[in-house]
Amino acid sequence: MTQYYFFHLMSWPYLPEDFAQRYDSAWIWCPNSLYDPEKGHELYREYLTTLAQAEELGFDGVCVNEHHQNAYGLMPSPNLMAAALTQRTQRMRIAVIGNALPLYHPPLRVAEEYAMLDVMSGGRLVAGMVVGGGPEYFSYQVDPTRCRERFREALDLIVRAWTEPGPFTWNGKHYFYRYVNPWPRPLQKPHPPIWIPGVGSIETIEFVARRRFAYMGIPYFHIESFRRVYRQFREACERAGYTPQPEQLGWGIPIYVAENDAKARKEFEPHLWYFVRNLLKGIVTTPPGYTSEKSIVPILRGRGHFLSEKKTWAEIEEGVYALVGSPATVRDMLNHYRKELGVGIVMTGCQAGSLPHDLARKSMALFAREVLPYVRDAATDGSTARASGTSPISAR
Amino acid sequence: MWDFVKKVTYGARVLLARRGEKQIVTVGGHPTQVLRGGQGAPLVYLHSALGETVWLPFHDAWAAQFDVIAPAHPGFADSQGLEDIGSMDDLVFHYAELFDTLGLDDFALGGVSLGGWIAVEYAVRYPDRVRRLWLADAAGLWLDAYPYFDLFRYAQDVRRLREALFHDPDSAVASMIVKDVQNSSDETLIAVYRALTALARLVWERPYSPHLPRRLSRIRCPTLIVWGASDRLIAPAYAEEYHRLIPNSTLKILEHCGHLPMFECEREFVRLVADFCRSEQTA
Repeated sequence: MTQYYFFHLMSWPYLPEDFAQRYDSAWIWCPNSLYDPEKGHELYREYLTTLAQAEELGFDGVCVNEHHQNAYGLMPSPNLMAAALTQRTQRMRIAVIGNALPLYHPPLRVAEEYAMLDVMSGGRLVAGMVVGGGPEYFSYQVDPTRCRERFREALDLIVRAWTEPGPFTWNGKHYFYRYVNPWPRPLQKPHPPIWIPGVGSIETIEFVARRRFAYMGIPYFHIESFRRVYRQFREACERAGYTPQPEQLGWGIPIYVAENDAKARKEFEPHLWYFVRNLLKGIVTTPPGYTSEKSIVPILRGRGHFLSEKKTWAEIEEGVYALVGSPATVRDMLNHYRKELGVGIVMTGCQAGSLPHDLARKSMALFAREVLPYVRDAATDGSTARASGTSPISAR
Repeated sequence: MWDFVKKVTYGARVLLARRGEKQIVTVGGHPTQVLRGGQGAPLVYLHSALGETVWLPFHDAWAAQFDVIAPAHPGFADSQGLEDIGSMDDLVFHYAELFDTLGLDDFALGGVSLGGWIAVEYAVRYPDRVRRLWLADAAGLWLDAYPYFDLFRYAQDVRRLREALFHDPDSAVASMIVKDVQNSSDETLIAVYRALTALARLVWERPYSPHLPRRLSRIRCPTLIVWGASDRLIAPAYAEEYHRLIPNSTLKILEHCGHLPMFECEREFVRLVADFCRSEQTA
């Protein structure tokens, strides 16, 4: 049973035409005079409406995520968006993917806010934990050379705060807390599912496999990268002595559906390029110590398989950076790749940069009606059975 | 063509600079690289974040008169132990232990940029152990009107880096020291990344010490402050600030010189430091 989550970035769609020529990045130092709060008000309302509609359409959940000081994603606090969604939806899961743990001092803040969201939503939270992207370490001025250590210690602290009765004392390398005792505690037992988004580093893959969390492949990479990632993840699970559940493997992939293939491309392509040329500009900012010495050379030489380096539609299709077409086309591609990759969760968004709200919703609705029933699982295709992970309260 | 000749000439001088030898000393349980050469009174050189951790002509020139000791900071070259360094305090303790191990008790200490800052931080904690202190284009202080050039933001921007580091960004020495990605080997890219990582460990969250200004009055030995007039990474205003705060200090501004005097103004820089460290005057 493949589950479908609607993924949203809440991008800023109003960058000037010549943005890519005039600015070196949509991140960190992209001047915030380009942001207009009055347009921003309207935008949040529309984006939240789109997300809430995912429930009526039959998606299993929605994803929101955290980024700072940028035009790419306007959710410095995804928890605020998730809180709003707890009050606008009743059944679907709300996945925050995630909070960048090293940016929180103390990281207990994450334990508290996630517990609040889990209780508010009636046990529908998916708790995503991330190291955070390179640019966030510039924006928050947090030491990137310690980010992996801090991430792991904070994660252990949060899980313990959720599962062990408080107050207890935490004495770690980076954090010391005399009284760990968060109110409230989460509703799901032993705690909300933990998703760890990753961009393919072997360190993260092995860590997630060992800890039996779920690995969420972040979109915008070449299909070959995803093949390697899930193969390595399954191998790492086997080494840890178990076979992973399908819901431990998630795949992020932009999907746009229209009445026919030509129309889909025509409607979607300009907005994909807005995203690639403007919003991805500067995203691959790698502060020192953030990544391993092994990974840095290909990053510096720009030899990555990342969408930001792509220039033509042929490259988009060749690398399967997005699934774009008629319902039949998307259905076939999705069935092919989700089975080949062996993923149990697909995080799909069509909200690429400047896509107008009406087109986004049209694509979502077409996807829900004409694709979703046929791409879940061989045994249940044709039904719209709900996700297996229904929450404790809404299942009653 | 002329650039090429200059680079070859410098390369030949590096090969001919033979007074130094590499030793590995254990500090805090970690191997630490120390280059050492020459005879005379000890002169300790602490390198910049650029990582000049091979024996170079300027070391060799000093070694004609001094026992030159040039350690590599943890995380640079063959010095391990960056995992134990979380702050300037840790680094100063590292050097206190290294100097104990080497038997250095009354010596000339100095450095460029990051190295100058470490030298100053050592001197305010152990003022009795430093006979002469010198610092060139040193980090450590902060003036709101003169923010440092953001090395981390522009780490891949060769043009901006050369402009920040050199009086003449188009010179042979500038292109020899700052290379673009295409003209760098994988080993060089990794070495630069390691150097920036070791630097970030100290300066990412706050690129200076807020405690340093009120501690500088503890320095008792004569101090020489050398600064490139064209330093666009750490402006000469910081030379004046150090001069104002360190008692018994002398200020020398080098014309036509940027942030790295040991490369851009080698002869004058070597002479200034040597004359100062040799002099017998006391405070």
